[in-house]
Amino acid sequence: MTEKQSGQKLISLTIDGKTVRVPEGTTIWEAAREAGIDIPVLCHSPRMEPVGVCRICVVEIGERVLAASCVRKCEEGMQVQADSDDIQQHRKMLTALLLSDYPQQSAREESTGDDELLALARDYGITELTFPDGAAGPEGRGTDGSSPVIAVDHQACILCDRCIRACDDIQHNDVIGRTGKGYQARIAFDLNTPMGESSCVACGECMAVCPTGALTNKSVAGLKIVVT
Amino acid sequence: MKTVTSSNGASRTAQVKAVDSICPYCGVGCALTYYVDPAQNRILYVEGRKGAPNDGRLCVKGRYGFDYATHAQRLTKPLIRKTESYPKGPLSAENQEGASGPRKPGGLVDYGQVLPHFREASWEEALDLAAGGLKEIRDTHGSDFLAGFGSAKGSNEEAYLFQKLVRAAFGTNNVDHCTRLCHASSVAALMEGIGSAAVTNVVRDIENSDVALITGTNTTENHPVAATFMKDAARKGTKLIVINSRRPELADFAEVYLQIKGSSDVPLYNAFMNVMIAEGLVDEEFIAKRSEGYEELKKVVAEYTPQVAARYCGVPAEEIVRAARLFGGAKAAMIFWGMGISQHTHGTDNARSLISLALISGNVGRPGTGLHPLRGQNNVQGASDAGLIPMVYPDYQSVEDPEIQKKFEEYWGVKLSPTKGLTVTEIVHGALEGTIKGMYIMGENPFISDPDTNKVRKSLAALDFLVVQDIFLTETAEFADVILPASSALEKIGTYTNTDRRVQIGRPALEMPGESRQDWELICEISTRMGYPMHYGSPSEVFDELARCAPSYSTLNYEHLGAFGKWYPCPDPVNSEGEQIVFGDSFPSGKGKLVPVHVSDPDELPNDDYPFVLNTGRLLEHWHTGVMTRRSAVLDAIAPDAFVEIHPQDAEQWNVRDGGYVRVTSRRGEIMLKARVGERSSPGSVFIPMHFREAAANVLTNPAVDPLGKIPEYKYCAVRVTPVDGQDGATAD
Repeated sequence: MTEKQSGQKLISLTIDGKTVRVPEGTTIWEAAREAGIDIPVLCHSPRMEPVGVCRICVVEIGERVLAASCVRKCEEGMQVQADSDDIQQHRKMLTALLLSDYPQQSAREESTGDDELLALARDYGITELTFPDGAAGPEGRGTDGSSPVIAVDHQACILCDRCIRACDDIQHNDVIGRTGKGYQARIAFDLNTPMGESSCVACGECMAVCPTGALTNKSVAGLKIVVT
Repeated sequence: MKTVTSSNGASRTAQVKAVDSICPYCGVGCALTYYVDPAQNRILYVEGRKGAPNDGRLCVKGRYGFDYATHAQRLTKPLIRKTESYPKGPLSAENQEGASGPRKPGGLVDYGQVLPHFREASWEEALDLAAGGLKEIRDTHGSDFLAGFGSAKGSNEEAYLFQKLVRAAFGTNNVDHCTRLCHASSVAALMEGIGSAAVTNVVRDIENSDVALITGTNTTENHPVAATFMKDAARKGTKLIVINSRRPELADFAEVYLQIKGSSDVPLYNAFMNVMIAEGLVDEEFIAKRSEGYEELKKVVAEYTPQVAARYCGVPAEEIVRAARLFGGAKAAMIFWGMGISQHTHGTDNARSLISLALISGNVGRPGTGLHPLRGQNNVQGASDAGLIPMVYPDYQSVEDPEIQKKFEEYWGVKLSPTKGLTVTEIVHGALEGTIKGMYIMGENPFISDPDTNKVRKSLAALDFLVVQDIFLTETAEFADVILPASSALEKIGTYTNTDRRVQIGRPALEMPGESRQDWELICEISTRMGYPMHYGSPSEVFDELARCAPSYSTLNYEHLGAFGKWYPCPDPVNSEGEQIVFGDSFPSGKGKLVPVHVSDPDELPNDDYPFVLNTGRLLEHWHTGVMTRRSAVLDAIAPDAFVEIHPQDAEQWNVRDGGYVRVTSRRGEIMLKARVGERSSPGSVFIPMHFREAAANVLTNPAVDPLGKIPEYKYCAVRVTPVDGQDGATAD
């Protein structure tokens, strides 16, 4: 808890049966983390404002639908179920849907081995997909190799918006946004110019926060990193 | 059916170790982790760490600019100048051999041209020769004929040992470094005004400011990660007043941006104070309790109405009033400044104005307030703290105070010189006059960094004896008698003090190449050979000695500094991070001194022959004389070329095409480079980055200095711009 929060009103709730007390305004995801309960998430990072777009972090709070814990604030007396068969099933389905579009090779998994989508696939034991392969065929979203430092694979992008927030909210360079609709939606640099020709200053923050193989470090491409 | 596999297609595997360290570039001092392949002795990639200055953020230099250290051109053997290569002079051409004009990039020193003039030597021979040459000058001519330039890129330990060598073994106070070229005038004004030259508050406390005045700094390019926190604050409601003669990117985030004419800072801030005093936007209590000289200040600033200032500054009086009210009305305001303030012949006056502004508004010593001269080099604060300055021992203790001198004579067990030494600019001049005959230069490249390159060239050539210790063959090393191959920041352990006064440990990620050696060991070797033995077991031992003679560091040691460092002063290093904000109750000098200043002209004004004002500065991707960043593949690829930025109106009038070649000429020299037409500079003013030797801005700059800070006027001289025939360089030679 930071000092700013300490003066605030505390509220009580339970997460998976465990009673936790957190300052008002804390999200369920943060409260769970404080209590040592890890809720999986793709779009959120503690360094950013949550946006609740991936819905991997959903939890049961007794409402009609599951709530995205990264954006939902804790309420007094709330009973949160962060893990159940239903929730597992939900997360597994979302992961599988994202994977159905995913390229066969993730540049992140190949090098630093920390592709978070593939890590979820492992957690949920997903080895085969029943959906058609969205990454096959000529309809691919394409790549952008124009930056001297960052490789862009739009096919591996899950539109989590972490890079957008890294660029706009952390570094304030305001280069990355979204373009296109529906299946053609993707991240874009400036007014959809190649990254290397855009106003990108190559700070690498987008690459550092990307959870997948979409924005990766060119200098370690194809090199399996084993940190000893 | 699609299968999901985490098995990877990588063809090679690297066993990598993680090394927690800090960035070697700017004064922000970002904490980072190097991922190193020890088998290849290469850094593979970098991640930001959650350090106090950066919270995990990095810029392009920190994240991708580490490969210079493993560049093939690293010096790996001691070198001695061949007898047939005397008398000395520059050895490499400014442009590459065979280049018909400037089309081929000149780039770095051509090793093929320079190395044949040197022969490889053993360490014994090179060190004996280096120490012997310096000793001979000391013993025949006298101590004051020697001088040393240390470096703000070195560690605190190296800076401490270097100044100790010059003071104790050379026997002179002629020791200085690039702080002279950067914030010497700010330091002079701060020492006079409040008795301390370090920042009174850290960058990130801008989040608690209502208003921040950001002046004479292109923060986004020169302190990129610090700028992200300024933009954070702006997004969250801090109002930025941005002042610069060349539009910085931060102006996009400003409540008020004033594009004043170059060198019109004093009238502007006098007008700020004029408005604030007239409208009661001053802190009477703070003025009464914490300052002196208010009545005098009032009299002087009374002359500078917004209308008067508007004439000097070239911005509307109403805008000046608006900015002054905004600043004066703030409950907490912080002032950040850079070299746009300091690098003038009246740089000290500029800084005095800012100090007065902070004092009369009570904006020192509380959260969200403070004076923050943004330090340029990663260790310019630390090198100054460690005494790499001709007037002071470690921690700004005067060399002219007999009590202090006695104390250091006891510490170091040797008689010390009672007179203050010469500054960088004076030493260069002294070499030309013959009053400096021998020099030891560690990690500095005055050939590119000092003003008026043609004069520097003559000075370096005039030295009887020069020892250069560096990691690459620099332009300066071309004039050396002995070159000692040394360590890069990525190969050594040492502490660095950032712009926030945070002392942090940098740790070695790489092995040193060839026979190159640690800088601190080389200093000890030379000192010992000159008859003043120096023996230490490790840099941590050196730090302990520094801490013993520098009160600000007295509580710190390597164990306390740990992975993330501490701010000094740090009364309780076990339980606290140190002091973020200082001078809440009083200044080291007691009361703050308000020093009224009048406007003065720059040393050299434009005229019909030289109609443009030249402003110099830096680029995001490059570092100073380019020795490191131009050897970083990524950084050099992004920003390979020198350029002169010129306003579209001027371009049209002088027939200059965007991307075409122009000659830029001052009273001291001429360079040829590409024009970049753009609106960042005002009409009548051009900008050239300092990094590129083939079109070195300092060929043009004026070596006139500020009388107190002795800092050269890099930000203002008169030039003319003429298009080269054809503009593509085809007919140029």
